[in-house]
Formats: sequence, C-alpha cells, structure tokens
Amino acid sequence: MTESTPEDIGVLDFAVREHRSLWLDAWRRLISSNTARLGMFIVGVFILSAVLAHYFWKYDAKTDLDYSLKLKPPNLVATEKIKSIHPFGTDKLGRDIFRRTVHGGWNSLRVGIVAVGISLFVGGLLGLLAGFYESINITYLERIFLMGLTGLFLGSLSAWIAGQPIQALLFTGLGVISVLLSNFLAGKNTRLVLFAGIGLLLGAGPALLVGPLVAVVCGFLGIIVGAILSMPMGGRLFSNIVMRLMDIILSFPGYLLAIAIVAFLGPGLEKGMIAIGVVGIPVYARLARSAVLSVIQKEYILAAQSVGEAHGRIIFRYIFPNILSPIIVQTTMGLANAILSAAALGFLGLGAIPPEAEWGAMLGDSYRYLTSGAWWAVLYPGLAIMLSVLGFNLLGDGLRDALDPKLRI
Amino acid sequence: MGRYIIRRLISILPTLIGVTFVIFMFQRLIPGDPAVAMLGEHATQENVERIREQFGLNRPLFLDREALVQGDLRGFFDSQYIRYLGRLVRFDLGNSIHRRIPVAETLMLRFPATVELAFLSMLIAIIIGLPVGIASAARRNSVIDGVTMIGSLVGVSMPIFWLGLMEIMLFAVFLKWLPTGGRLSSGVEVETITHLILVDSLLTGNIKAFIDALQHIIMPAAALATIPMAIIARMTRSSMLDVLQEDYIRTAKAKGLEERVVLFRHALKNAFLPVITIIGLQAGTLLAGAVLTETIFSWPGIGKWVYDSILGRDYPIVQGGTLLIAIIFLFINLLVDISYAWLDPRIHYD
Repeated sequence: MTESTPEDIGVLDFAVREHRSLWLDAWRRLISSNTARLGMFIVGVFILSAVLAHYFWKYDAKTDLDYSLKLKPPNLVATEKIKSIHPFGTDKLGRDIFRRTVHGGWNSLRVGIVAVGISLFVGGLLGLLAGFYESINITYLERIFLMGLTGLFLGSLSAWIAGQPIQALLFTGLGVISVLLSNFLAGKNTRLVLFAGIGLLLGAGPALLVGPLVAVVCGFLGIIVGAILSMPMGGRLFSNIVMRLMDIILSFPGYLLAIAIVAFLGPGLEKGMIAIGVVGIPVYARLARSAVLSVIQKEYILAAQSVGEAHGRIIFRYIFPNILSPIIVQTTMGLANAILSAAALGFLGLGAIPPEAEWGAMLGDSYRYLTSGAWWAVLYPGLAIMLSVLGFNLLGDGLRDALDPKLRI
Repeated sequence: MGRYIIRRLISILPTLIGVTFVIFMFQRLIPGDPAVAMLGEHATQENVERIREQFGLNRPLFLDREALVQGDLRGFFDSQYIRYLGRLVRFDLGNSIHRRIPVAETLMLRFPATVELAFLSMLIAIIIGLPVGIASAARRNSVIDGVTMIGSLVGVSMPIFWLGLMEIMLFAVFLKWLPTGGRLSSGVEVETITHLILVDSLLTGNIKAFIDALQHIIMPAAALATIPMAIIARMTRSSMLDVLQEDYIRTAKAKGLEERVVLFRHALKNAFLPVITIIGLQAGTLLAGAVLTETIFSWPGIGKWVYDSILGRDYPIVQGGTLLIAIIFLFINLLVDISYAWLDPRIHYD
C-alpha cells in the first residue's frame, strides 16, 4: 500500500498550505468576482484612455473649431460630404465629440481623484484622532497641551476685547495649572469656585486698565473660562468639537455646498476639486471614527498600551492598518461620487472653464442646443460619466465583498 | 421619549448656530461690497455710505470693541452678525438685490414647487423600489435578483442631469409627448389653495389643469426618483436578507405558513427599520438637493432659484435659500433619528 500525500486526498493541511497574507487573500476573492472584474475593466479602460490621450494624442481645446462640420451625426466611414470620421458626431462648434470625450476623461477623473484625496486625508485623519482620543485616556502631556490650547483659545476672546494679548497667555497658564493640580480638590465644588475666581481676576484685572465696563465684560468671561478650565476634560472634548464641526458641514446638502464654495472661490477645475473635497470630509471623518471605535476595544490595542507604546505609534501601527478595509471601500465609492459631483459642477458651468473638454461641461454645452435634436452631443459624454461612475461603484462593491466578507449591504 | 426629543432638539442648537455662522461668513467673504452690489457700479460715494449705514454694513462683524471701551454695552453687541441673528428670529431674510422683493416671502412661494416634486419622486421611488427589493431578497440569486442588483447599481451611478436631458430629448424633442419644462403650460390657470398645483387642481375639480401639471412634473419626478429608488431597493434587499436568516423565519416556514405571510408579516416588519431611515435621509436630500433637476426642467423651486441667484450674485437669496434648505435638512435628519428610537424598542434613549 502506497502512502497517500495530502495532494492525493485533496485536502491541504494547514502546515503544508502555502503562506498567504490577508491582502493576497482579499485580492484572490476580488478577482474571482465577476462584478469586481467588470468594474476593474471599466475603470482600467477609462484611466488608460485618459492618460494615453493626455500624453500621446495632442489636443488643443482653444484652437479646435470648424464650422463646416457643425452638428454632424456620428459616421464611421468617410463620405463625399464629410471627409473625416467622427464616431460620436460633432458638436455646435464642429468639434469631434469622440476626441473631446476621451480628453474630457483626463479632467473629470483628475477632479475626482484629487477631491477624494483631500477629503480622505483631512477627514480620515480627523476621524482617526477623534475616535482614538474619545476612547483612550490621554497622557499627561497631551492633557497639558489640550487644556493649554483650550485656555489660549477661550482666553483670546477676552484678550481681544480688552486689547491685551497677555490675557490669552494667562488663561493658557491657568489651563496648564489646572492639569498640574488635577488632583487638588478634585471633584469638589470648591475647585470650580476657586478657578472661576482666578478667572475673574485674570479677566478683570488687566482689563481694568482699559475701562470699567471692559473689566466687567472680561471678568464675566473670565469666570466662565475659569469654570470650564477647572473641569477634568479629556479626549472626549476634542472628539466632540471635531464631530460637531463635521455635523455643520453635513447639514448642507452636498451639491449645494459645493456650488456655494465654487461661487465663493470662482469657477475652475482646481476650485471644483477643493469644493468637492471639502464636502466629502465629514463622510471619511465619521467612517474613520466609527471604525476606530470598533477596533479600539480589541486586545491588541490594550497590549500595545500596556507595553507602553506611544499614542502616535498605536494609532499608525496598530489602528490604522486595521481600519483600512472600510476606508478603501469608501474611497472607491467616494471616487464614483466625486466624479458625479465634478460633472454636476461642470454641467452648471462652475467647473472646467470652456472650451476645455470635461464631461459635465460638454453636457452643459449640449443642453443649450437640445432642441436641435443633436442626440449624440448629449448621449456620449453622459454615457462616459455613467460608465466611469458605474465602474468605480462595481469595483467598490467587489472590494467590500473581498475585504470584509461579513459585511453585506 | 419626550425628554429624548427635547434633548435632541437642544443638541442641534450648536449646529444651527454654526450653520448661520457659516452662511453669514460666506456672504461677508465673497469679494465685492454688498452696498455697491445693491446700488450698481455707478453709485456715488455718498449713496454707498448711506446704504452702508442703513443696512448696518459699517458695523463690526461680531463685537464692537470700541463701543465697549467707551462704556457702551449696547453698542458692544450691536454688530452685523448679531443683527443678522436678530433678523433671522423675526423671519426677515432681507430683500433680493435685483428684484427688491422680500426673500422670505418668495421662498415660501417657491417652496411648495420643490415639495411637490420631491414628494412625487419619493412616491415613485418607494412604489417601485420597495417591492423590487423584497422580490429580489425573496428570490435570492435568481434572474430578478441579478437584474435588480445591476439595475440599482446603474441607478446609483446615474448622473440625473444627463438622465433628465435624455428624457427631454426623447419625450419632448423627438416624440413631442411632454413639455420640455416648467410647471404649467401658459394659459392654464389654477386657483391657489395649497400652492401644490396637483392638489389644487384636484380640489377645484380642474381636470384639464391636473393633467397638464402631471405632464409637466412626470419627467423631473422620474429623473429625481432614480437614485432614491435604487438605494431603497438595495437597502430593502439587504435588510430582508438579514432578517430572512433569522430562526423565527425558519420556524414560521416550518409551521407551514404561506410564503407570502412569512415575507410580509414576519420578515418585512422587522426589516423595515433601516429602510425607513434610508427613506427619511433620501427625502431630506430630495427636498434640499434638487438643484440640478430643477435647473434642467426649469422647475420654479428653491434649488433653481438659489442656483440662478448664485450666478446673478443676488446674495440675500443665496443666504436665505441655503439657510432654509440646511434647516429642513437638519430637522428631517432629526426626525429620522427620533423615529428610529420610537420604532425600535431596543434602542434606549437615555
């Protein structure tokens, strides 16, 4: 009787099985899914064509104009009348729509990528820090920093009213002292009264030199600031401030805020990137925060804390890699959204400046001669937007299944 | 519950103040002098000064230090921002720069158009999205399911302004079945009761106007419904799939209950919560974010008005419209939160 190897039985023992990393596993799941493959294909085609066209197919939007070819329907073979080939037809200025659609991809995709980069970086970082400091006791040094900053910030108002910068420094000092003496009268009302009293002195004292009424107002402010500084504030304060700021951004509907920001900055591709990026910040902040909150209770974080790892190291070495999957998924979906928003801005005439080729702007252009029946001028740029957005959405869906098989939305 | 609602109401106060602050700063930061904008380029220096005085534009932005130093506590708080808040409390949103009409009144006149459009879109989205989601969950991995999943993904990826343009192209330009835009054909009059034309024309028995209004609203409503429909279908499907795995569903099936009863009585009831949340959030977006659809179909709602005003630099309208939209958005989200706590007894609201 011959000895059977694991391969013969068809079952690989764990020890024999080749080593596979988490990411390799995810990659295999990703490419085994039809939707993800389709998404990757679409995204790949768009990115490749945009990049290749930008570098190897020269196009100058400013000189592209030929009235003799005005509004010609798509043709695939040259005829007597139209000697050139226009697979997508031509627009009101006789420009080849195929060429402009391919070149428009460069602008549209670029806006999407940069905008998501902005929201991801700012929002992700804020959410990461907010989630972390919300659940971890902050260190002595961080507390001094936080309270000093709070004192500086709140004291600045009083300092500005009295016209004496020294007050801001005094309140900063009060914040620091409050931390240094955090065990002094802790939890007693006496502490509150004491600090409010010191606040009154710090606020009203220097302000007396300016005028009696100023002293009253600054003294009143000082009492409030002192009382606030007497309380043991921790990371929750930071997290609360950040998340309330995010709430403010979120309370404006996305498109409207982006339009308002562009109206303020002035039209242009770069301005559009910034506007869409700012609008997206809260999404990533909320996502990163909730992801941090879900991993922070894990044993490995506790272990890292107990061996005395620094907070920065815990955040970037232990937490960050473990919240990466939801962020990657959201980023892919976010790219789809950003491309859509960029096209919307372009359509409204607030994105790319004409005659530059951009999908949204091309649609906005065709909107003006809609009644002429030139369906090709409407169909193709819009199809490009929809397909590229669909590509990123498909890829995002596939990524979610691959990175977190438990999740299903 | 009452205490929870009050606490949530208080909790949006800082956000609300933040919103007014952002909107106020937005107007201040925009390049150009509002007084000059009101009077036009050729205004005399004297007139500009007079307008600045009249509208308090010569006051400091937040607090007046100088007044305090001179012992004037009232003057200390007499700033542009505080005055702005004071006007807001009295529902005074200022006058339009170009047309000199009160912004608040016009907003109230235009708001019903937005509400009508948003409501009909939501209705379409729910009527189609919900059953489709249930069906695809009940027949998982079937053809229906596949079509739903692909269709909903396409729907989410749809640039609605493009869809709107294609609709106009097909139904208005080529087939000439429907009008290209607007709310009513010229010449058709409806007695105004609620300012919702569909409702008004029915109430007054004006069938001709009702049909005309319906022909106008159907294209924008269909375009606007696309994304919520896709999202509702996806959400219903995934929520139903979660519930259908529960033990009590197996028990119900084992008892020999009809599939219809299991699906609608047992599963749907429990799967409904996330769906309601999504519907609420989408309703907020629809009420607020119809800028594009309203622009394409020349729909006289708030979104189009705000957008036109941005282009025309009529900032009181931009400010007033944005503020109204933001407040509606905030309150709908609040309602969703509260209804969530109310519908799900497992959520503690203390």
